[in-house]
Amino acid sequence: MINVSFYLRRLHSLCGLLLLGGVLIEHLLTNASAMGGPEVFNQGLEMMELIPAPIFLAIEICLYAVPILFHGIYGIVIALDAKNNTGSYGYSRNWKFALQRYTAWYMVAFLIWHVGYLRIYLKGIMGEHISYALVQSVLSNPAVFVLYALGMFAAIFHFCNGITTFCMTWGIAKGPRAQRVVDKMAMGLCALMCLLTLAFMFSYLA
Amino acid sequence: MAEQKKTVTFIIERQDSPTSAPYTQEFEIPYRPALNVVASLMEIQKNPVTKDGKKVAPVTWECNCLEKVCGACMMVINGKARQACCALIDELEQPIHLAPARTFPVIRDLLIDRSVMFESLKRVQAWVEVDGTWEVKDAPIQNPYTATTAYEISHCMTCGCCLEACPNVGPQSDFIGASPSVQAYLFNLHPLGKFDKEKRLNALMGKGGITGCGNSQNCVEVCPKNIKLTTYLAQLNRDVNKQALKNIFNK
Repeated sequence: MINVSFYLRRLHSLCGLLLLGGVLIEHLLTNASAMGGPEVFNQGLEMMELIPAPIFLAIEICLYAVPILFHGIYGIVIALDAKNNTGSYGYSRNWKFALQRYTAWYMVAFLIWHVGYLRIYLKGIMGEHISYALVQSVLSNPAVFVLYALGMFAAIFHFCNGITTFCMTWGIAKGPRAQRVVDKMAMGLCALMCLLTLAFMFSYLA
Repeated sequence: MAEQKKTVTFIIERQDSPTSAPYTQEFEIPYRPALNVVASLMEIQKNPVTKDGKKVAPVTWECNCLEKVCGACMMVINGKARQACCALIDELEQPIHLAPARTFPVIRDLLIDRSVMFESLKRVQAWVEVDGTWEVKDAPIQNPYTATTAYEISHCMTCGCCLEACPNVGPQSDFIGASPSVQAYLFNLHPLGKFDKEKRLNALMGKGGITGCGNSQNCVEVCPKNIKLTTYLAQLNRDVNKQALKNIFNK
């Protein structure tokens, strides 16, 4: 027996936590460097541009595009398996279960816009150079700023709650106490990452 | 001064046949101390007249042991899946809403068909082979600490609360739910049952198996027997992952 759905589910879990978690943390750190001013941020981008273009593209495809597409498309299949029932069962974990799916739906729309506009349209088609000034001009629109903040919060929550469910799915945190501790630590990390996001986002406006 | 007679009001979701549309009716019965939902339904059965005086067909439901052991009277009471026999009127907010557990096919009114769970139990081989497949001799002794865990899981009465509360169990998904999954663990703990551990883990790896769990953990919140379902699901996840590695590398 091959049990395709079992291996897909486990791959979905690994891919989300390790690869996409890495993508999120990379984005957070790169953007957090903007708090040091335009020079620090642009220097960081220039460092990245030292990687030869074909290798950079390969990294983008293998570590960003393919995992995001797989996690996103199979994630939609998983989300459609659920009938959220927080109305009747308003327990904290059930809310997080529902939020994991709501944030996922927002991320689908957000990422199409974010990747489509910044990476494919501006950088790919228009040949625009990604820089502090560009990010600043994008974020200067209040609506875009709010949608971006929500996109970051959604990604951060999805990642942090994903750590908790990863620990359950892989049988790492088994008992109620262990699961509670992991849940609390993940939510603490979520709060920290959200604060960091707010800090660097407002630094672009200052 | 005329004594005000205390009453209990029910709003019951009814359905005449498995395919007909559901509708609600309101009933009012006289209050008495220690009244529970099953006893109230018996009162309605004696005098099936709605609050506005219409004589209707008595409400159909299922019950058996009346002491939270058989699992038959599971229904949705004020929005939550639970046993009707131990749902005390004094502890419920009125009007009391009763509805069938729609995760399962509804036969009539509050009566549901829970046979899908028994099919799942067959699927995960929730039994011990004693058909002479291997010699039993004297019954093997079980580790008493393991027996404590097995005893806890053996309380499961297949009532279906955990399936009804689970957002991932229903017509939209093929997940078999917490109860049948955790029964596989019970028989994996058994000194003779563990001979078939691999079969059960492989069954749980199949479509609709343990991967259907989305960790909403509603099951453990609603379980009327307080079985630590999420703990055993996590243990099964551990076992199933190990089995998957064995399947990949040992063959």
